[in-house]
Amino acid sequence: MNALEIKNLTKSFTGFKLDNLSLTLPSGCIMGLIGENGAGKSTTIKLILDMIHKDSGAITILGKDNEDNIRLTKEDVGVVMDEAGIPECLTTKQVGKVMKHTFRNWDDAEYARLLQKLSLPDNKPFKDFSRGMKMKLGIAIAMSHGSKLLLLDEATSGLDPVVRDEVVEMFSDFTRDENHSILISSHIVSDLEKLCDYVAFLHNGKLLLCEEKDQLLAEYGIVHCTAEQLKALSPDVIKYKKESPYGVEAMVLRSAAPANVNVSPISIEELFVFMVKEAR
Amino acid sequence: MKGLLLKDWYMMRKYCRSYLLIAAVFIAVSLYSNDNLFFIFYPCLLCGMIPVNLLGYDERSRWMQYSGTLPYTKTQIVSAKYLIGLLAQVTILIVTGIAQGVKMTVAGNFVFGEFVVLMLLMLIVATLTSSISLPFIFKLGVEKGRTAYFIMIGFVCGASILASSFFRGQLVAEIEPNAILAALAVAGIGVYALSWYLSVVFFKGRDLE
Repeated sequence: MNALEIKNLTKSFTGFKLDNLSLTLPSGCIMGLIGENGAGKSTTIKLILDMIHKDSGAITILGKDNEDNIRLTKEDVGVVMDEAGIPECLTTKQVGKVMKHTFRNWDDAEYARLLQKLSLPDNKPFKDFSRGMKMKLGIAIAMSHGSKLLLLDEATSGLDPVVRDEVVEMFSDFTRDENHSILISSHIVSDLEKLCDYVAFLHNGKLLLCEEKDQLLAEYGIVHCTAEQLKALSPDVIKYKKESPYGVEAMVLRSAAPANVNVSPISIEELFVFMVKEAR
Repeated sequence: MKGLLLKDWYMMRKYCRSYLLIAAVFIAVSLYSNDNLFFIFYPCLLCGMIPVNLLGYDERSRWMQYSGTLPYTKTQIVSAKYLIGLLAQVTILIVTGIAQGVKMTVAGNFVFGEFVVLMLLMLIVATLTSSISLPFIFKLGVEKGRTAYFIMIGFVCGASILASSFFRGQLVAEIEPNAILAALAVAGIGVYALSWYLSVVFFKGRDLE
């Protein structure tokens, strides 16, 4: 079963349109939704949760249409938004009590374990938390009610590198169960590169690509050469090129590149930057 | 919905303590003030504003958006605010009612009919703010909702002045005062129910951006 299926999703706002988005997240996998600020990542997550009404298209979460008793579906979905949304006067202890009466499968012991693991205090009001602590609390809540799907919107932003690494590890552990899946959006591509099985690039509300990460890395590479050397390559091989007085950097299709050309591995971040520039 | 009510309860305990103090002072003053209804009605009016203020705090912390990710329907999210408002309003009604009942009894002028009329009036005053403001807030958000509320109040006051000068009290003189009050109380409850329904409809149509 697929954890998430989005087909031809469209939503228009003044000055922005999420246009005909289609993607599929198989169960047991992690998909990174990568895009610049304002590309439509948060809008996509809000549409999935039916917080925003779509103009057209279809969304299926854990095998159920997202407009068909979404309240029940949300029992199985853990969400972290880019702004945590917890009332400022509440302490983590009070938040736990509120969530205990919110989720049927709320697990007090797991919540306490995660608070301890993430070094969150029991009785400090939320308003006194740093941004990183706020995100950590959001993550602890999302992972304390037996979620099968995590929707994470910029969940690692604001975390210091050490905690970010720990959190990425937690997400990775979460998907060891083949019924667990994650859709994570971020513009910090390095986190997603470590974590994801699939990547989807969003640019100006349009999906540039959605593919398996390893396949993408195998498919594309980078060539550093002179402008003269580049001319020797067939135009079909070159997906994008960046020229400077010091030489040319080109994204190429590995399979179509001649054997005598030295193709270096490409990172997801480089791939994303190249593709966005090409789309512009 | 228990989670929503519990969260509002925690917030009310934190942010509305001063209301409790002001209400207690006004109730105490009303015991020594002869026929000044302001001291009786003001605590009711104050409690009527609690759901509106809680929504203001919710908006500031972006709870509205977060609640959209939790397993609640929009009807439950709206209803929690009306229920927490009712809880505060009924509590203040009971406390003020007991205080006024004791005052009337001690003064030897307790008349059950008058007492009921007073309670009905307090009920109308307590629910009025929420009834009028909440649908605007659930439709437009707290800031725009408050503006719309003040425009509406201005319109209602203007219309009342025009209506009273037009009828010159003839209509009121022909109807028993208690009957008017009973009708007003029923209308107040009806308006509260209508307001609840409208808030649900408006909120269902609103995107939680």
